[in-house]
Amino acid sequence: MRATATLVKRSLYADSVALLALARELRSHPGVVEAAALMATPANRALLARSDLLTPEAETAGPNDLVIAIMAEAPASAALARARAEELLGARERRQEQAGRRAPRTLDGARRRLPGASLALISVPGAWAAAEARKALRLGLHVMLFSDHVLVEDEVALKQQAARQGLLMMGPDCGTAYLGGAPLGFANAVPRGRVGLVAASGTGLQQVATLLAARGEGISEAIGVGGRDMGAEVGGLMTLRALDALEADAATEIVVVVGKPPAPPVREAVEAKLGALGKPAVVALLGRDVKGRRDGRIITVTSLEDACLATIAALAGAAWSPCAFSLPPAEVRRRVEAARRGLRPGPSAIRGLYAGGTLAHEAALILEPLLGPVLTNLSPAAAGPGSTGGLHRVVDLGAGEYTVGRAHPMLDPTARVQAIADAAGEDEVAVLLLDVVLGHGAAADPAGDIAPALEAARGRGRELAVIASVIGTEADPQGLARQTARLERAGAWVLPSNAQAARAAACVAGGEAVMEQLLAERRL
Amino acid sequence: MITRVAERDFVHVRRLGVGVARRLEAAPRALGRVHSVFARAVNVLCHDGRLVTLHGPGPLAAPFAAGLDRLPRLGALVPGMSVERAGERLVLDGLTLDWRGAEVVDTALAAAGDESALAAALREASLPAGAAALRSPVALDARRRLAAGLRHGDPRGVVDGALRLIGLGEGLTPAGDDCLVGMLAVVHRFRPDALARHPDVARAVAAAAREGTTAVGREFLLHALAGSFSEAVIALASAGTEGAAREALADLLTMGATSGADTAVGMRLGLEAIAA
Repeated sequence: MRATATLVKRSLYADSVALLALARELRSHPGVVEAAALMATPANRALLARSDLLTPEAETAGPNDLVIAIMAEAPASAALARARAEELLGARERRQEQAGRRAPRTLDGARRRLPGASLALISVPGAWAAAEARKALRLGLHVMLFSDHVLVEDEVALKQQAARQGLLMMGPDCGTAYLGGAPLGFANAVPRGRVGLVAASGTGLQQVATLLAARGEGISEAIGVGGRDMGAEVGGLMTLRALDALEADAATEIVVVVGKPPAPPVREAVEAKLGALGKPAVVALLGRDVKGRRDGRIITVTSLEDACLATIAALAGAAWSPCAFSLPPAEVRRRVEAARRGLRPGPSAIRGLYAGGTLAHEAALILEPLLGPVLTNLSPAAAGPGSTGGLHRVVDLGAGEYTVGRAHPMLDPTARVQAIADAAGEDEVAVLLLDVVLGHGAAADPAGDIAPALEAARGRGRELAVIASVIGTEADPQGLARQTARLERAGAWVLPSNAQAARAAACVAGGEAVMEQLLAERRL
Repeated sequence: MITRVAERDFVHVRRLGVGVARRLEAAPRALGRVHSVFARAVNVLCHDGRLVTLHGPGPLAAPFAAGLDRLPRLGALVPGMSVERAGERLVLDGLTLDWRGAEVVDTALAAAGDESALAAALREASLPAGAAALRSPVALDARRRLAAGLRHGDPRGVVDGALRLIGLGEGLTPAGDDCLVGMLAVVHRFRPDALARHPDVARAVAAAAREGTTAVGREFLLHALAGSFSEAVIALASAGTEGAAREALADLLTMGATSGADTAVGMRLGLEAIAA
């Protein structure tokens, strides 16, 4: 029997974002079915009544009172969630108090508080992000602009201004960077080392950095440039400047460039710069027409994992050739056959449900040559004209249409949980393909957030293969092993990279023919 | 009893709304009490049952606001603390707020005819979605009724939609209130006769606001019905060029967690309705 619990805080105000976050946290509490946190105006009390959340206690609350209403499977769960709400509200009030006393409110104020600061990380809505970035540059600060929705004209002007001042202008839409050993934005805990990265992709950078870390190699500097930097309009302004910076950096022994294929004139400029670089380079600008090749000291690769492997080999002065899986071939066949055993006859569709845009892009690029057209919401389409139709779908759940009114899926699992349930309801879907991104800034327990949805999807009386990769390290706050184990308990096959996970998904959906094709192209 | 003789903090009021200035000048010695305290604003509930919001330097975030040269340190003010007026000063325990020489800001939104700059800025902007409650079935229904009422000059439709939005949704000022304030700004600016022709609309909305929303939401609504708005709303509604409107929109979107976006949603709703 379901139970409700209510917490009424008289004359307590909180802003919308705080209340949304509070309600979401309560909804994720074990046994909680629904939770709401609202001011008890008559309209909001009516909303609660429609959801069967209006208790007699909530009915007594007035428009200036905060009501937290919880519905749970059992009274104990409801009581525990209510206690958690009390705890969260208390913590919020303490944080607010501290913020009021300590947090600076302007860049100038922050600079006065911390005179030695050399970088501003700006994360404000796009409409006024450019103005804040201009202020920071005027103060002589390097800028990491986390915000998106910045006009491309503003991006060009900011990057030109930064170039004149000899500063870095990372972004807009720059999610990840490491400067001087400091992780910025969404970043994994990785060691310092010899590899310098220039990345127009946050999750692409994270995948390469974590795979390097797994092999004991680290990052000297990683400079994010923003997803549009290598487009025709921005002209690679920051990519070229970042390459100059890495060339001059004594700790950087090899340079890795990560992103999507540049506009033709930008490609020429980047290639010329790399050719003149006094250091070897690995280029992972992932696109449909990109072929792996070696041109002197420049190695071009077709996946993020290959970027890592080619880098390790180049640092060791060793030869390198791409392989499909790090598991022994016999083990791969055993796992694929086990996954295929329970599938129903007929088409076996893949649903790639991604938090990382570049990881989704990479998966689509791997799947299409093996399985045919892949439908995606990626822009521009990863896999060309065929991406407008087909049995298989890869969805970037971080795209704008999925983040209206909620946080990015690396923080808020709601969209992915819903997408998993939707996919499980489609008869033709046989394989779910997922990424789980760890690190500073990501959700506290991303695997735990989606595992119940995976368990529910696999418990619907039919087989559903779940194939995933975890982008992270053991030193990340969430712990790579813990997150992997949680996904495995939910029935997922967890592979060490997104590229391997996509290939495994293709094998499960396509069977022996795909295995043979992979064998012909790469070492299994 | 311990008498505090030291540590009195003096803060200057730099700017205040014309309505606030008049109310303070006419206020009795026992002005009121501190109503609520936030990191960036303090609300004072006055003897007349209305609020005055105190915040830091910058544009007035509400038509009933006063901008101080700095906010008193957090913890210095607590809800319930009494506020007294002594000449052109407000006196609280350990704190004096002095409004002598403060700039008096006109928060009335003047009527004008050309909405093209605002329309262009709102049309081209990819507005944040605002609060989730504004996309709930109840809110969408209310927005439809409000827009239809405005479009067809149907006062009952306007009241019907407005009453469903009042007090609806998350936040210090519920999202529905912000949306309604945005719509009212557009009406005051570009169709002032619409409200003047139907005084019953303002009366009905005001009555609902007094009972149906938070104290802060009520204050915004009552001022909006009287044609008085925050400086960010005034700047956007009265922008003469598309560029100025875009800049003002950017400023508005900084307001609150989603308040600015919710207000912009209401302005867009109002514009689309009157354009149709």
